[in-house]
Amino acid sequence: MPKCTINGKEVEVKEGSSIIEAMQVSGDRIAHYCWHPGLSVAGVCRLCVVEIEGNPRVQIACNTMVTEGMKINNTSEKVKDTVKWGLDFHLINHPLDCPICDQAGECGLQDQYMEYGKYDPEMAEAKVKKHKVVDLGPTVVLDSERCILCSRCVRFTEEVSKTNELGLFNRGDRTEIGTHDGMPLDNKYSLNTVDICPVGALTSKDFRFRQRVWYLKDGDSVCNGCSTGCNIKVYYNKEGLFRIKPVYNEQVNGHWMCDSGRNAYKFVNRDARLLKGVARGVEMAPGAAAKNANEVLKNTAGDAIALVLTAQYTLEEYEAIIKTFVEEFKTKKVFFWINNKETFDSFDGLLSRGDKNPNTKGLLKVMEKHGITATWNDLSAGLANGSIKTVVVAGPENQVVFPEYNERLKELSKAQNLIWMQSGKNEALSALTGNVWIIPMKTFVEKDGTFINYSGLEQKIKKVTTVVSEALTLTEAALLLAGKNLAMPMTAPFMPTNQRPDQVELEHRKKNEFVFRRGSL
Amino acid sequence: MSVMQNNSEKSKWYLPGVLGGLSVTMKHMVTNLLNRKKMMTLNYPEEKYDYSPRFKGNHVLTVKKDGSLRCTACMLCATNCPAECIKIVAAEHNDPAVEKFPIAYEIDILRCVFCGFCEEACPVDAIRLGPEWQTPAVNGGQFIYDINHLAYRPNLKGGIQTHVDDEERHKQGI
Repeated sequence: MPKCTINGKEVEVKEGSSIIEAMQVSGDRIAHYCWHPGLSVAGVCRLCVVEIEGNPRVQIACNTMVTEGMKINNTSEKVKDTVKWGLDFHLINHPLDCPICDQAGECGLQDQYMEYGKYDPEMAEAKVKKHKVVDLGPTVVLDSERCILCSRCVRFTEEVSKTNELGLFNRGDRTEIGTHDGMPLDNKYSLNTVDICPVGALTSKDFRFRQRVWYLKDGDSVCNGCSTGCNIKVYYNKEGLFRIKPVYNEQVNGHWMCDSGRNAYKFVNRDARLLKGVARGVEMAPGAAAKNANEVLKNTAGDAIALVLTAQYTLEEYEAIIKTFVEEFKTKKVFFWINNKETFDSFDGLLSRGDKNPNTKGLLKVMEKHGITATWNDLSAGLANGSIKTVVVAGPENQVVFPEYNERLKELSKAQNLIWMQSGKNEALSALTGNVWIIPMKTFVEKDGTFINYSGLEQKIKKVTTVVSEALTLTEAALLLAGKNLAMPMTAPFMPTNQRPDQVELEHRKKNEFVFRRGSL
Repeated sequence: MSVMQNNSEKSKWYLPGVLGGLSVTMKHMVTNLLNRKKMMTLNYPEEKYDYSPRFKGNHVLTVKKDGSLRCTACMLCATNCPAECIKIVAAEHNDPAVEKFPIAYEIDILRCVFCGFCEEACPVDAIRLGPEWQTPAVNGGQFIYDINHLAYRPNLKGGIQTHVDDEERHKQGI
């Protein structure tokens, strides 16, 4: 474990780590464009320069290993001057199209220029014009003028996705990123190249021009797309969600996430959502619809009630609804709606799994806890012979991964009463008539809970934002279906909530002896 | 505020004051009748007063030589606007040289405070506060200025071009 000194601070780092990694440990700021912790070291941007004591020249931090007793500095005048000139070279051909560029606001070059730059360019030559708006593939658009040739995206396709679509072509200042002939950038992880692009050269077609990044807030969550459970950041504002980016978690997803997971924000947005509850064809508030459905459940015998669950809800919600059905309605007919069973165990070797539900393990765990053994065949038989009269369904959030949705809907709608809880709109569902209740649900960004991923890792998710405020969580729906009322968390009015435990209260203050009382002197 | 009361005996005689005021009115009437060119009033709305071209009145979106909008929908004006009255929806243009343009640019003129921060923020001189100052409308909807009004209203006669020229800028290698 070598010890080194970074900007006067002594830091102990792992054997064989580079200076830039040591600086991540010590928390010192250092610019890096070509270096990425998940990729190999290229050392081409030359902006992470540091000064090492005893070495006459500045060195790049990403490709220099820390040795015992090394004294490193990246705040000296020499380093600042070097960075300034390095930046000047980077910006020679860089266009000034920040107003158009999607990266504006989260661009490393902007930050670096404000910190080290502020110079007059000394280039007499005209800028080299390169290709703009190059369509690389179905998901990514390239602007090679903005590219600073850090080769992160090229290394990503070589090392992580192993698809090798991208390459650096031509020489000198005419170098451009491009795809090999007849090979568009079309793989399941292509949008990671947009994430790791330090400038706005690669932009996502989906997010392109839709929102400036400074209008977006972010919040941490766990991806709803498959059973891997990648850690994500969702970017949103009051108009809804706009994009999803991966967050580093060594245990789960590393630095990356797949493209289909990034689409998981679409079913959360308001235009894709159910907004009103329906009870026997009458529109009402979701809570009222759930309360209305209670009357049917109350009047059906326990044996005739079935609960169908998809693995897209949180552990706490399963616990609540299964407990309600087992204890209140005395039924153990709880069924797991499995989508595409054949591909359930498939795995592409990197992140994406065939099981497109975030919480299959969680559902199985709760079902096991309550001793539920019912299979789908029991349900089909029960529906066919009419022994199951009322079916309660917690439908999928992400309907795209349920290709057999309509057939299942048709099968389940044979029941006398159908109570369907779901977050997203569906035409076939809305077209149902008769004894049908439709109850809008909240999605994974709108509630707290736990997802258990394929390996049994429990990950807590926190509420990020609210898109449809009147929608219910499954826990709330369980209460209402059982005929109970929702306990609203109410804070006592006019009471300070930010009081310290040791704060002197008003009662004590009244006992203050040093009060001037008229006539007491 | 303090109120002074004049309770003197003289203040009870109001007629001299009324007649004095009336005489001023009559004096103006007579001079206006005899010399109508020196009259101090305008027959609005037939006659209008033109302010200086630097006057910060109604917004104008400038156009390029071909008549298309200069605005690149960078949203800096909307970001900078203290009244939050600008709403822009960006989209991808078919022409790769343009790349990004606004498909909707709306100013809620009832919220606008005419501070001019939008023209300060604009990097391409696409929005200006023009010399027009009249903002009457019949109903609320007409107080939301859209692209059609901002860039192509009849008074602008096909749109205002700006001195900033993209082609010349590109030729210079900027």
